Amino acid sequence: MPDRGALGTFAEPADAARAVLRLRERGHSVRASMPAPFPAVVAALGRPRSPLQWVTFPGALVGLLGGIALTAGTSLSWRLVTGGKPIVSWPPFVIVIFELTVLIGSLANLAAVAVGTFVGGRAASFPAGVPVDPARVALFVVGDPAAAEQALRDAGAEEVRRVG
Amino acid sequence: MSNAATFRSIEDTVRAAHGPPGPLYWLALAVSGGVFAFGAWAYSLVVRTGLHWTGLERPGMWGNLITDFVFWVGIAHSGTLISAILFLFRARFRTAVYRVAEMMTVFAVMTAGLYPILHLGRPWLAHWLLPYPNQRELWINFRSPLIWDVFAISTYLIVSTVFLLVGVAPDAAALRDRATGWRRGLYRLLAFGWRGTDEQWRHYTRAYLFFAAFATPLVVSVHSVVSWDFAVSVTPGWHSTLFPPYFVAGAILSGVAMVITILVPLRRAFRLEDLITARHLDMLARLVIFTGLIVTYSYATELVLAAGEPASDPERSTFLYRMTGPYAPVFWTMVTFNCGGPLLLLVRKVRTTTWSLLLICLAINVGMWLERFNIVVTSLAHDRLPFDWRVYVPTWVEWAMTFGAFGWFFFLFLVGLKLLPPVSIAELKEDAAGHGAHGPDGPAEGSHA
Repeated sequence: MPDRGALGTFAEPADAARAVLRLRERGHSVRASMPAPFPAVVAALGRPRSPLQWVTFPGALVGLLGGIALTAGTSLSWRLVTGGKPIVSWPPFVIVIFELTVLIGSLANLAAVAVGTFVGGRAASFPAGVPVDPARVALFVVGDPAAAEQALRDAGAEEVRRVG
Repeated sequence: MSNAATFRSIEDTVRAAHGPPGPLYWLALAVSGGVFAFGAWAYSLVVRTGLHWTGLERPGMWGNLITDFVFWVGIAHSGTLISAILFLFRARFRTAVYRVAEMMTVFAVMTAGLYPILHLGRPWLAHWLLPYPNQRELWINFRSPLIWDVFAISTYLIVSTVFLLVGVAPDAAALRDRATGWRRGLYRLLAFGWRGTDEQWRHYTRAYLFFAAFATPLVVSVHSVVSWDFAVSVTPGWHSTLFPPYFVAGAILSGVAMVITILVPLRRAFRLEDLITARHLDMLARLVIFTGLIVTYSYATELVLAAGEPASDPERSTFLYRMTGPYAPVFWTMVTFNCGGPLLLLVRKVRTTTWSLLLICLAINVGMWLERFNIVVTSLAHDRLPFDWRVYVPTWVEWAMTFGAFGWFFFLFLVGLKLLPPVSIAELKEDAAGHGAHGPDGPAEGSHA
């Protein structure tokens, strides 16, 4: 269910960043949609870092342990005796273990970002069904639509619409 | 012009590149498809009646096909270098060129991955290279370099493809909103529900940083692994600790040369001169000089070390054979193109003149293929035992398969150019707004590139 509020757009990311700072100073909750992650806008929004590493690094660890189990474990199960070489020969196994660490870590990272962007793209994060020019930075101020509209106009928004 | 207008202009330029193809595009597609089809037919001869169609014979059991494998793995390197390593090093010039390099990487790995299978006498048993539960009591040998290749190449293909598609998502969303028909459906799929919210960017930029961090050691490992296919053997000319850095530098040299070879006609044909500028080509040319100097140093090191060995040493004998034997034209062409070409680019006028840059990069592509041929073939043709020496000459079937791979690569590339945005729209917008590549520790956590 989308929040009620107002949506304003800006042609310049720098103006949008200034507006975000101003709106947050006045106690408004602001969400944004933008064509690129403009550092000034991102910094003004003051969002915490994504916790993606809590999925990615365990994924890499699973790849590492899986690589060890696959190489050492299966070599011990199916012993292939060749010319005095040890059955568990770590230097060559490291290559396979490394590749699996990268592979599973990357796939875990992909799964995490897929979930993150899916959740972050839902209507609860930003009002859906309101057409926004993809070339402009759009700010959504949560709250009473009339008050939010006024706040956006005061902050310098160029096109303002009420939502909800 | 406001930033919003600039952003629209970037989108319009990319959208125009996806317009109805002209006759030149169709001609290029037909030629590359035709060459690929001929190569595939030539390969069908090998599948139907055996490897006797090739020039492979003891002791030279590796020839054009393994040369092609190493060459295409090398070509695949620049994509990850340009997108991941230069991202971590905050090199802003990558923005306009990395998408083409990433596409090139994916298609080149798809090409390279075919060759070890094509080279098998019984390619329909290629799945035996994979570890899977079976009733034959057989298991793969993790101590074999060929198994390292299986893991390295498949990991590289998957990670490169993921990296490419994750980068495409915001751009697909930008194109989706004004696309129609099947293209709208494609971009909706590729955009993966992208709306550009700050919540999405927050996760996306973090994930992109992690992908780059994974891909950077991966790119170094992959060609190192390929070099170990040779270096862990005891064959003269192969058994060298120099091989991993030598192969990685050579791979980057050939990959960047291929990126330039593709970008020069591409920016003209798709009218992308405003986005992919002369400065971008100049920066890539400097990368060619840098890696070319490493390759030159590697050639010199190999030769100096071999020359210092006693007259009876097989290493010395192999290097003399390379320089003066029947493969001498291959060796000297390789040295001329791979060492002389990058050195010519030190002259600013040569580097900034498009046709001379293209010509030199084409020569480097040829030189790098010859380098792989020189490594793979000459060492086997001139082993430790003189009675076993034999000159390998590729047959027309092998040449057809070699050129068929170029047809396959360019066919995929031409199709890819019409489906995917050839430049990163989001990052160009970020650059246009006056921010650009802040990298992972830039002024704001959210910075994309």
